[in-house]
Amino acid sequence: MASDITFQSEIAHWTWTIAFFLWFIGLGGMTSIAYYWVRKAAVSYAILVSIIVGLLFVVSHLARWWNLPIVVWTMLINLHLNYTSWMFIGVCVLSVHLVMAAILALSHMEFILRRIPFLGFLRHVRGEHIVGNAFCVLFGIVGFVSVIYSGFLLTAAVGVPFWGTALIPVLWVLSGGIAAIALLELLYVFGYVDERVSLFGMKLGLGIDALKLFAIFSLLHVAVTLGSQGARISAEQMIWGDLALMTWGGVIGLGILVPMALSGYMLSAGKNKALIAVSAVSALAGVLLLRAAVLLAGVWEPLA
Amino acid sequence: MRLRRGHEPEKRLAHIWNSANCTACGACVVACTATNYPEMLERVADKGHGGMPSNIRRIEGATAEGKPTLLLNQCQHCDNAPCMRTCPFGAVYKDTNGLIRLDPRMCAGCKYCITSCPYNVRWVHPDNGLPMKCMGNGCLDLIAAGQKPACVQACPANARDFGDINDPGSSVSQTLRTKRNRRLLANSGAEPKYFIVEEA
Repeated sequence: MASDITFQSEIAHWTWTIAFFLWFIGLGGMTSIAYYWVRKAAVSYAILVSIIVGLLFVVSHLARWWNLPIVVWTMLINLHLNYTSWMFIGVCVLSVHLVMAAILALSHMEFILRRIPFLGFLRHVRGEHIVGNAFCVLFGIVGFVSVIYSGFLLTAAVGVPFWGTALIPVLWVLSGGIAAIALLELLYVFGYVDERVSLFGMKLGLGIDALKLFAIFSLLHVAVTLGSQGARISAEQMIWGDLALMTWGGVIGLGILVPMALSGYMLSAGKNKALIAVSAVSALAGVLLLRAAVLLAGVWEPLA
Repeated sequence: MRLRRGHEPEKRLAHIWNSANCTACGACVVACTATNYPEMLERVADKGHGGMPSNIRRIEGATAEGKPTLLLNQCQHCDNAPCMRTCPFGAVYKDTNGLIRLDPRMCAGCKYCITSCPYNVRWVHPDNGLPMKCMGNGCLDLIAAGQKPACVQACPANARDFGDINDPGSSVSQTLRTKRNRRLLANSGAEPKYFIVEEA
């Protein structure tokens, strides 16, 4: 057991709840970039739901969630703004992202815009002219920063040496991209986006999957060969320890190899909606398991 | 009192644990809980810690030759505390005595301080969700009254001490000058102020 070696807690206090939070933020953030090209109502709703559910997960993780309004109020009144904290930066970025996603989703809700005429200007937000394009570019940037933040959130947690690498944000961006493509594929299966989006996503996904595989191996290789003892223990747990099944079977097998094989098959033999759905769900599961495995593998540096 | 940004603390209060003198009786661990969290004396800490919740963690192990080893771990009141840097709401702060403290009003229980601490010394209080660590309110009251913390007072072997390392005349400064000592993860960048003295 890792705890016997490190003489400390077996795992970090961030586990599945935070994995789901990181997953939803990665999904919503990278889909925000895709929205620039796929300006469909279903996509904007999916982004908004992802951010809201992600935030609900992280709030449910707070041991003192009921104190949050007082904390925010006291922080603003006393100007205790900790710019050195990635979590503080993240709170700001996610707040902006949430508001922008809500505006975008609202702009697609014609039944509301018709009933409340003064909200009619929101139609410009989704339009393909200068206002709409500028909003979508900004939305994509904020989404990308949200995903970057969710990576550096771990990197800055210096207690767990395995997380202290810039490969984590890179991996989060790549896997978030995979999740966004999988979401678009699912929306295609249900008839919400065009076939050309699905086809482009399939080709792009193959390339990103290969990069993601490379980034995962880099993360593990660097930790095992160059990392501190704590980082090595974490990586070894993922490679042949308690988390090996999750890593090889879930993250790499289910999350990368299955979608790659299915995409390769469909690009050569023709598309099949059932296979696209299987590939997308498999990829989404792999992205979640990647976050869970990295979190669960986290141990502290041995003190002795 | 909260140290203002950019200011240096008036004192640098630090703990010393003399591993050579320590008899592993556990009196410091119990005294810590009894003084700071009497309600926890009969209860078990959160997952991973086991045993009685205390700000001092007793870590037992063995050398490669099978000899038993003991380490008493606690908040190191780092000069460059990572928990203070990462706390999103400014709940973790350094006071004018150089101690790292928590303002409960500002804490939402995100546990970022727990994952940011290289020493993994915090535990979550089951009643209020606060990430606890040395020093608790009981010991802060003792210090304010000019006394030593509970762990120092309870130690029957004089294995623990506490004082200002900025003051060359303090007992801790004299000990650190004259006896071999080390800090845990000294290269972590946190600049810890918990010293382990290795000679009697």
